[in-house]
Amino acid sequence: MYNKNIWELAEAWVDGSMHAADKQLLDERKQADPAFAAEFRDAVNMLRSLQGSGDHKRFKNALAEAHQSATAQQPGTIVPKTISLVRNHWRTAAIAASIAIITSLATFWIAQHNNNKIASQYSLLRRDLETYKRSQNKIIRDIKEQATVTPQLEARYTGTGFALTNDGYLVTSYHVISGADSVYIQNRDGNYYKTHIVAFNEATDVVVLKVEDKKFRFSKQDVPYSIAKSKKKLGARVFTLGFPQDEIVYNEGYISAKNGYNGDSSQYRLDIPAGPGQSGSPVADASGNIIGIITGKESESEGTTYAVASEAIIDLLNSVPEKNKIRLNAYSKLGKLGREQQIEKMEYYTCAIKVYKK
Amino acid sequence: MHNDLYTEQELLRQLVQGNHAAMEEVYSRQYRMVSRWMAKMGGNDDDAADICQESMIVLYEKSRNGDFELTSKLSTYLFAIARNLWYKKLQGRQAGVVKIDEGDELNIAANYEDDIKAHQEREIHYKQLDQALDKLGEPCASLLKSFYFNDNSMQQIAADFGYTNADNAKTQKYKCLARLKKLFYSTQVK
Repeated sequence: MYNKNIWELAEAWVDGSMHAADKQLLDERKQADPAFAAEFRDAVNMLRSLQGSGDHKRFKNALAEAHQSATAQQPGTIVPKTISLVRNHWRTAAIAASIAIITSLATFWIAQHNNNKIASQYSLLRRDLETYKRSQNKIIRDIKEQATVTPQLEARYTGTGFALTNDGYLVTSYHVISGADSVYIQNRDGNYYKTHIVAFNEATDVVVLKVEDKKFRFSKQDVPYSIAKSKKKLGARVFTLGFPQDEIVYNEGYISAKNGYNGDSSQYRLDIPAGPGQSGSPVADASGNIIGIITGKESESEGTTYAVASEAIIDLLNSVPEKNKIRLNAYSKLGKLGREQQIEKMEYYTCAIKVYKK
Repeated sequence: MHNDLYTEQELLRQLVQGNHAAMEEVYSRQYRMVSRWMAKMGGNDDDAADICQESMIVLYEKSRNGDFELTSKLSTYLFAIARNLWYKKLQGRQAGVVKIDEGDELNIAANYEDDIKAHQEREIHYKQLDQALDKLGEPCASLLKSFYFNDNSMQQIAADFGYTNADNAKTQKYKCLARLKKLFYSTQVK
């Protein structure tokens, strides 16, 4: 056995064609010589990989052939679709129906029993139907406050936006509102205001909206922050305000790379937590200059977030006829304030975006 | 139901053994199902073919190691894998960035995550093997491919590559394997 090539041995081992006597000799040699044992193991792995890869390739080719013959079938042989469609969709239909029943029962129940018990029952419902949290919330708000303008449906998507001017020009991520039937903002007081699109750039994922109500103001004072015209340096401390839930949420972090996903130079890579609903949130540096808009996060790792650099806003504004109506601050008025005061001011100009789709 | 599962298991066995009739039956059933679903999900027929074939490779690789006992219908398993693969592909197309407000849709088919992971690792492994083979040079690359990928006998190879007999070809093959091993393990370490 000693005069045999290691590959010959490995091959016989993998094939299972090795004689019992040889097997025993091999085991003894492996025990006596660990270096040989390691080499033998590598050889066996190599052979298995090659065989596996061969089988894999042959199976793939066979699949391609199967595809050819499956698609070459005459159209006449296809089973009538009506029956199988029903069969395919009954689960979806059943789920949709049960959600509809639950939602309408809940609405009916809340409307009927508008008393103290609602709160406890409601929190139960909220746990069970996490997705419907917002719509249920709104139903309650309707009853309690009789808000003046409230959209009829529940929002399909939510995001965050922030003011460019006090009289209702604002920015958010394009993907938040793309394909929407209507877009509302919900301001700090919880009121809804309808908006229309002024300009957008799908590539940089920025959109400028305008609140339609002419009397609308974000706050009594003008927007306090400025929009940065150039990129900030690596490592700069940043913070963001957004609406991953009904309440505004603060997060802080830093610029972890000057370019965004796959080296996209119109983006920053940030190390800052972000969750669903925070798309469109303003990213501000320590002195309250807006340096970017949160656009997405890496799906694999927590805390890696991407933001469109604020230059994209400036570029977009330069391309629209309304640019004269949108005056941006040259300097931030928040520079000398502490973080709590900065947040307090910025809160007025940050709003939730509610997107409605049929 | 028992009977059904029995025939399904039998179907799977034949599929893994490379029975063409079994493969065509499973594939055409699967393709019809996946392409219909894909049409709803915004994919085209080519996407459907890719996803469908990949899901069958996942099944094949899993069951050829002999550690797969069917607990559901073949088509149920394959469809779950296909959905999962498609969501992964969608995530990839958006350049790895999942749009934040649509995150929930991507979690629907988080089933069989291990199977998919094993499959992806295997694909990478085979890719590295192919790369090592490409670096190997001739006649080694062709000789090994002829034996392992095209399933030719050593006699055939001796004739094709001009060796006097199968034993000489075999000696050459062992030399090639030794060189491939060196290359392969050096690329893997990276």
